[in-house]
Amino acid sequence: MKIVPGGTAARGWRQAELEVPAPYATLAADPLEGVVMIRDLRKAIAAWAGLIAAFWLAALPLLSAEPSRYFVLDNGLKVFLYEKRDVPLLHVVTGFDVGSKDETDETSGLVHLLEHCLLFRGTAARSGAEVGADVRRHGAYFNGNTGQDLSVFEISLPSEYADFALRNQKDILFGLDLVQEELDGEKEIILEEFSQMEDDPERNAADLVLQDLFPGHAYGRSVYGNREVIAAASAAELKAFHRTFFVADNCALAVVGDFDVADMERRVREIFGPLPKTGFAPRSLPMAVPLKKSVSRRLERDVAEGYLYLGFAAPDYNHPDRYAMSVLSEALGRGVNPLLTSFLHSQRDSVQSVSMTYLPFRFGGAAIVSVKADARDVAAIERAAVSFLKKARDASYSKKDYMGAEAELAAFDYLEMAKNQIRFASGQAEEHGLQLAGSLARHMLLNTRADPGRYLDGIGAVDSGDLRKAAARYLSRGEVAAVTIIPGRGKK
Amino acid sequence: MRRLALAILAVFGASALLTADQRQSAPEKYTLATGIPCIYQKDAVSPTTVVGLFIAGGKSAVPPGLDGLAAVATRLLLEIPDESKVRDLMAQATRLSYVCLEDGSVILVECLTENIEEALRVAAKIVQDPLVSGLRVGRAKELMAANAKIEDDDAVAAGRNAALKALFGGRGYGSALYGTEPGLKSIDRKDVLAFIRRFVVKPNVFFFVETDLEWDSLRRLLETAFDAFPDGPAAEIPRQEPVLPEDRDVLVLKDAKQTYIGRAYALPRTGLKDMAEGYLLETLLGKGPGSRLWTLRADKRLAYGVDADLTWMKSAGVLIAYIETGRAKSPEAGAALDRVLSALRDDGVTEEELAATRTMARARFLRATEAKSPRLRTLGLFEVLGHGPEGAIGILEEIEAVTSASLNEYIKDALAPERALRLTVGPAGAGRSPGGLTCPD
Repeated sequence: MKIVPGGTAARGWRQAELEVPAPYATLAADPLEGVVMIRDLRKAIAAWAGLIAAFWLAALPLLSAEPSRYFVLDNGLKVFLYEKRDVPLLHVVTGFDVGSKDETDETSGLVHLLEHCLLFRGTAARSGAEVGADVRRHGAYFNGNTGQDLSVFEISLPSEYADFALRNQKDILFGLDLVQEELDGEKEIILEEFSQMEDDPERNAADLVLQDLFPGHAYGRSVYGNREVIAAASAAELKAFHRTFFVADNCALAVVGDFDVADMERRVREIFGPLPKTGFAPRSLPMAVPLKKSVSRRLERDVAEGYLYLGFAAPDYNHPDRYAMSVLSEALGRGVNPLLTSFLHSQRDSVQSVSMTYLPFRFGGAAIVSVKADARDVAAIERAAVSFLKKARDASYSKKDYMGAEAELAAFDYLEMAKNQIRFASGQAEEHGLQLAGSLARHMLLNTRADPGRYLDGIGAVDSGDLRKAAARYLSRGEVAAVTIIPGRGKK
Repeated sequence: MRRLALAILAVFGASALLTADQRQSAPEKYTLATGIPCIYQKDAVSPTTVVGLFIAGGKSAVPPGLDGLAAVATRLLLEIPDESKVRDLMAQATRLSYVCLEDGSVILVECLTENIEEALRVAAKIVQDPLVSGLRVGRAKELMAANAKIEDDDAVAAGRNAALKALFGGRGYGSALYGTEPGLKSIDRKDVLAFIRRFVVKPNVFFFVETDLEWDSLRRLLETAFDAFPDGPAAEIPRQEPVLPEDRDVLVLKDAKQTYIGRAYALPRTGLKDMAEGYLLETLLGKGPGSRLWTLRADKRLAYGVDADLTWMKSAGVLIAYIETGRAKSPEAGAALDRVLSALRDDGVTEEELAATRTMARARFLRATEAKSPRLRTLGLFEVLGHGPEGAIGILEEIEAVTSASLNEYIKDALAPERALRLTVGPAGAGRSPGGLTCPD
């Protein structure tokens, strides 16, 4: 339904996770002193932030005093239940370990197409229209997203409809019955989504920069897929794909909301317990390697601003460097006036916004820098940003990096800032039940460590030396993939 | 307050906003010793605080020819002259942000609650005594020009802006939020100072706070920090009614693969009952699978993006139903969109459809108010519109009370074809059927 790199919300279908009255749908990034103006909350939430929160939050509920429970059904389905009783809502997120990484050139885009069909094209028991009507009758927000690693399906509704939520998700995800006519209908919609993505400079650049960062690796395949493959896809092919990957032992279910844990466990066991165990073994891929040579592409579109995306290889989800990379991304390019943002503003007045995002995948990772600025300055900004990031291994991030009491007093503590930003974001994200459920489902599927520990403890243990090491490993040595989108001729 | 709490319980059920463990209370309205109203809601779900300073004015108060003035002035309220203070806020990960709206502006302070005292001290200092130099005004104007460009790159934002501009004659609500080239050029320091002196005074502001702090602690902090808020008269802003332009076809040229086709309607009444019916209509038309517009996607295969979007202002609402479709399909999509709107107006909703829509609308509202920051914005808007934070409860009660007869009457009036504005964002010729522009009448 909606995809951007890493598998989070995109613009597309505008039933936003957070529905804010339209007068607030106004935004602008503002480079001065870290002040932020909110232009389009939906879009802002959509592109990267949701994903970041998802990873930040991975172990958050384990810290909380709220009742929670983790268990694995006999068929292999992993379950996490978490009580959040401040609002009478229930959020259910069901994830599968299947994404564009599991496609080939011949099947590129089928996971995304399948996600659409599962959501909207009906089951053996109900037509797509009947599913839609049922969902509506229960007041549900209903969506899904496809990423490089995972496919994730979400439903959020008043908690009194808990039984419906669980049964509906089981039916649509495990009860696919697709006919060619329905599939052909969904293909047309997917192709419209393609065009919408290509019209959106940010989504388009984000998709392309990941393709360029991982050439030859499964992560280098667009999550949106290949138009020709999608056009030629058959219902039989999709059903075979579904039979392989959409099984209980490749699935994780997270439920967050206003319920009693013991009662919810009983319901989950009753509804999902009878699904068969298939012996499915998730695919293992080689780790993505950094680029050997920098690559750059420039596109001209009917846009008014210039858009620059830079991609660097980064540690994977289970790598010990993940904590340092998370903190480094904050210190360099997120939150309130970070290092890279300050530097680029000092170089060019036209820099409108700068953001750095770390995407930890299962078999690799990416650090993505995005900049909006006057198109005439984009080439110079690209050079300045790459040069700055390559020197990030020598930067001072903490007061403790300075000699003498006076120098220490004068220095700004980017390390402390970054850690506080992560704490703040974790606190904020705990308010969003659906985001929390998404984090839990992703974590259950991506984590391979026996005892990953508490995420905020891992963040807390990072020191400035760790940041320099991470910068040296991932920003200084690796080459960069750059994508620029600027106004076409006559629009500069 | 007791009435409000009971009303919440009645609408949401016993486990709703006022929970058994009292982690989230109903919003309460106080007046600080400084004379500034403050709406407070305790929410202990997370250790964070969001403070919103709502300031009257916004786009509605922008004089003709000075497009962008409200945004420039609001931005300049957040200039921090003291570098060490900026650093303190940065280190604590405290965010200062602003939103400029149709009927006012909001300055938001978001932080870990442990840092709220410092955050308020800095915010109060700059808001109460803003630094407005010619240089800073120039820089803020440059920022707004860049913001305007980014917004132009989004077809949905461009469509909405075009609708407001057409319905309000390019003035006030219809002015460009981030300004136009001539508008920004015309703004100088004295315009900004006049705007700030008119609106950033006690009678024209209120606080809204979502926090895990107790009221007494918060009150002390606000009264101490904002002890020098300027006094002044309450601002009178003339009511601005929407007027349908003679030419109801609005085309924004954009060379894109997709074309945005929208139909915009001015909803003239803004009482709680009208807002409830408008919210139901927006939900019914465009929100999620099974909505009326969904058929254009699922059955007609015309689009990926279909939606309805409702903006409320003091004098009116503006509802836009839209579809984003490929260039070749745009004439067909425009006609299909009109047919959906006509059918809804002619046939109305059934009892079953109303029941489902009511459930959807209630759940949407719950999701929109689940987290602190969006809740503050949503409930704050009710205060801005004159309904008070309890308007949030009022609208839910009204949603429950709507009958199919009253909703159908509302829909007939709201979607009257003679009031439709036809919006197209796309290449020249997009959205036109062979016989000319498609039209619901």
